[in-house]
Amino acid sequence: MTYIATFFSHFGALRFRKNCESLGIPAVNMPVPRDLSSSCGTCTRFEADAVPDYTAHRDELEKIVKITESGFETIYETEE
Amino acid sequence: MSFDSKKFTVAIGLLIGIISAMLVKFGNPANMGFCIACFIRDTAGALGLHGAKGVQYIRPEIIGLVLGSFAAALFSKEFKARGGSAPMTRFILGFFVMVGALMFLGCPFRMVLRIAGGDLNAVVGLVGFAAGILCGVFFLNKGFSLKRSYTLSACEGTVMPVIQAVFLALLIAAPTFILFTSNYADVKGPGKAHAAIIISLAAGLIVGILAQKSRFCMVGGLRDLILFREARLILGFAAIAAAACAANVAMGSFTLGFENQPVAHTDALWNFLGMLLVGFASVLLGGCPLRQLILSGEGNTDSAVTSLGLLVGAAFCHNFALASSAAGPTPNGKVAVIIGIVVAVAIAFANLSQKQEA
Repeated sequence: MTYIATFFSHFGALRFRKNCESLGIPAVNMPVPRDLSSSCGTCTRFEADAVPDYTAHRDELEKIVKITESGFETIYETEE
Repeated sequence: MSFDSKKFTVAIGLLIGIISAMLVKFGNPANMGFCIACFIRDTAGALGLHGAKGVQYIRPEIIGLVLGSFAAALFSKEFKARGGSAPMTRFILGFFVMVGALMFLGCPFRMVLRIAGGDLNAVVGLVGFAAGILCGVFFLNKGFSLKRSYTLSACEGTVMPVIQAVFLALLIAAPTFILFTSNYADVKGPGKAHAAIIISLAAGLIVGILAQKSRFCMVGGLRDLILFREARLILGFAAIAAAACAANVAMGSFTLGFENQPVAHTDALWNFLGMLLVGFASVLLGGCPLRQLILSGEGNTDSAVTSLGLLVGAAFCHNFALASSAAGPTPNGKVAVIIGIVVAVAIAFANLSQKQEA
């Protein structure tokens, strides 16, 4: 399955991508898709059977969505 | 058509380029269909924040950009009041973006329009702008962050659009405490050159809506090209330049060269350094001055605070002789740009995450 994770900073996306790669999960950084958000930061797109654990820097994580045929399904969203 | 498609972005860019050229035809200063820095500077003058009589006019384009973005965000349910991400730091960065822009005499948007008018000084500015963005990207990759923003009340997010509505009322009512260059018979300056209010406002509204939909950002365009080899946004600005250039040629207002360009000077070093500061500080802010206005219309109060930094920066630039003129940069302006670069570097270092954790 394909997921997109969005972050509060560019560096958060870099760190998440490196975490994915260390777990053997293919991941790439890219601009946040416009259909997902009107914000213009960096996101990480990754292919995995399930969302990897990311408790160490969860405060940097804004949202994780799964790409579906109809669009995006929210898997995780940070609390305000 | 997806908002992410290159075709959509290029189509919007072409439209914005034509609108920009037409604003000049309708009365705006040459190569200044839009200039976020110059127009905020003019608005600051009209509000009496500085005393430069040649640049005093409440620019409806700025009002339109914010209100257009506000309307588009409301319509598409994307209006979200957010804030709390280092507002004072953003204010300072906004201040120095204006210092850099008024050294060069234009924001990144006007830089593109100056290139489209044949002004080769703006090409020098573009090189400086790209160098500044590279500096910013360096710090982004080192862990720079102004930290997260938080959800605020809708009321907080609507303050900036309301302020713009008040500015529009003041422009139309024109009470005596609002200053206009046109009130001084013996004063010349860009403040006297403007399209009719309804035309400028409509242009601002249209571009505000389009920019909200497309996320147009000159800084974002170059940043995405450098970081991700993603050319969508930069293609949009190329489209603006192409359309404005074609319109300028058609209207006989294209003049290729360095000398005698409208509202511009030929000092290459300071054109370079001014735009370097703009590019660097804008990457740290996450967007160019146009993008800050659009985000403020979407309810982003951090961008609204940045816009206030631009406004106060403009006032300082004219109260303390920091702004350049067609005669060239001023000694005070050169010192201010150097200080701005030092402050941007200090802010960048002070807001680094610990790289070894990555």
